[in-house]
Amino acid sequence: MGLEQLLPAIAGMTWQHLVMIGIGLILIYLAIAKNYEPTLLLPMGFGAILVNIPLSSALTQIDPATGEAVEGVLNIFFDAGIATEIFPLLIFIAIGAMIDFAPLFRNPSLLLFGAAAQFGIFITMIFATLLGYDIREAASIGIIGAADGPTSIVVASRFAPNLLGPISVAAYSYMALVPIIQPPVIRLLTSRKERLIRMSSASHNNKKISKKALIAFPIVITVAAGIIAPSSLSLIGFLMFGNLIRECGVLNKLSQSAQNELSSLVTILLGITIASTMTADRFIRTDTLIIIALGLFAFIFDTFGGVIFAKFLNLFRKEGNKINPMIGACGISAFPMSARVIHQMGQKEDPYNYLLMPAISANVGGQIGSVVAGGIILTLVPLLA
Amino acid sequence: MRNLKIVLFLFTAVLLASGCSSKQKNPAWVINEVMVLNEGSYMDDFGQRNGWIEIYNNTAKTQDLGGRYLTNDRNNPKKYPIPRGDVLTKIPPHQHALFWADDEPFNGTFHVNFKLDPTKENYIALYENDGKTLLDEIVIPAGMLADQTYGYPQDGIKLDEEGKNLATHLERVTPSSNNAILEENPKVVGLQETDSWGGMLTITSMLVVFSALIALYFFFKISGNVANRMSERKVAKSGTLSAARSHSHLSGEVLAAISAAIHEMKEDQHDIESTILTIQHVKRNYSPWNSKLQTLRKLPK
Repeated sequence: MGLEQLLPAIAGMTWQHLVMIGIGLILIYLAIAKNYEPTLLLPMGFGAILVNIPLSSALTQIDPATGEAVEGVLNIFFDAGIATEIFPLLIFIAIGAMIDFAPLFRNPSLLLFGAAAQFGIFITMIFATLLGYDIREAASIGIIGAADGPTSIVVASRFAPNLLGPISVAAYSYMALVPIIQPPVIRLLTSRKERLIRMSSASHNNKKISKKALIAFPIVITVAAGIIAPSSLSLIGFLMFGNLIRECGVLNKLSQSAQNELSSLVTILLGITIASTMTADRFIRTDTLIIIALGLFAFIFDTFGGVIFAKFLNLFRKEGNKINPMIGACGISAFPMSARVIHQMGQKEDPYNYLLMPAISANVGGQIGSVVAGGIILTLVPLLA
Repeated sequence: MRNLKIVLFLFTAVLLASGCSSKQKNPAWVINEVMVLNEGSYMDDFGQRNGWIEIYNNTAKTQDLGGRYLTNDRNNPKKYPIPRGDVLTKIPPHQHALFWADDEPFNGTFHVNFKLDPTKENYIALYENDGKTLLDEIVIPAGMLADQTYGYPQDGIKLDEEGKNLATHLERVTPSSNNAILEENPKVVGLQETDSWGGMLTITSMLVVFSALIALYFFFKISGNVANRMSERKVAKSGTLSAARSHSHLSGEVLAAISAAIHEMKEDQHDIESTILTIQHVKRNYSPWNSKLQTLRKLPK
């Protein structure tokens, strides 16, 4: 009896499988040793190993004896959770329950950075189209720049399910790598003098926010979004539903559950289910490398858009009321990672410069902006495709 | 008296409005497409080719055709009673039902007891359950060619804005499906031609994201200000410490410290203290001799 019969998995192993298992191990290493988004990178890393062992029963396989397909559990999860968009939307409820919109009420002008820092999405879309990707695929690649995992998954699963694996891996990896990606771009675009700008946020910090306004906010946004772009309602509606649970004040138990149990449960399933798309035959392709490179491009141009927009606004602002252009970079959705990075950068230049509050406001703006951008892509791209 | 005048005014207004809107509406059921002579077209379940009548549910709700009457005789509105109790006669919104004009009513619900004659004009009508109320009617001109249909170019749109009947010979034969087939969306085609690489889309998207967030900015700004003003007014009326606070915009801690200081000064309750209060950083060297840990007796375990 040969090796093939005894251990068919070893016989079926190719170098591509080994590379994917290596990638899985790197993701696990990054999650544990570097603490980069461990909640997602670890399940994804482990899942990558799980699906790249030949004949893995975690994936649907054809039984050689009967010729029938034996459904794999990860495929079942994928069809039930990702193809139907249920997992990312449940995550949106959890995120909604975690977001505190009060900083934005205190300093609403910073919300605009949430729009400026979506620049990377659209510029990457153009770039991907020029590289020959179909507009649907280009939009799915561009959405990596939303720096928002669930939005990327929703858009990619609708427009380019074949690219879902590399897109979600790129989105989550770059979110984890914000502390490495953003600072050099910011330094390149700003002078030291600009980075030293202090933002007078003391008066904003004490401003009391009415509870009614916080409760009305998710409802008003849902209605407005529904009227303007009904196809974005699944994204925005679920986010705002989570936020309403948080702010209403009578559903504390549900709010806590959404923030903790729901988020944890869905994250576990989401990570490992996305990994089901990370099979060697789908992943080891030049396409994947291009997508990962384009994702980085998107992140860099998000930061670029935010910082340049802040500098542009400063042209019209009086001395003493200027915005620290680094705040612009917080307009991405990676929350609170980006705000923390900018605060630390500010402190490095001037230990008495506290940028955390405005940075958090811009970062919350980024979360809204990314969802709005996702909704717009969902609405506009079908018109072109 | 004044109320009566208002009621009369409103009544006249409603009357006038209803008088002005004399535009004819498309009926709820429309005899949508008719084939008189079927030689090489659609076949029924019995493998026979006969003329057919397509009826369209022109409403947004599911309606039942059961119990209504189909006829080709102006003097006999109840000629073919459509059987009740057949689930297939429940027509979903904007969907069709196809009746075979084969004079074979025992072949099933959708086979009527008359035939259409291509040599003469064919009148077809659909009547309500009472056999008196006309739901829709159509007159098919004589001389219809084989495999040609007569009906409305767009499903359910019988009349144009001026009330003119749009019935005509149709280009395509579409039994049980839409008369107008949307092959392409002109807007999409235009956009694909003018913006093949998505530049306009990018600009539009960025503009939409910006305008959405600008709208949000105003929402935050206005609602925050309004809510603040309302709560300040409410608190100011109460005349409490919070009122003073909302007036001065000082934080609660600062106000508490000021109030405590004023209270102590007024009541002359200030203790004589051996220590000095200072805001300077005081460096204190640690000594185990004054450590409370060393002096306190530990509880027996």
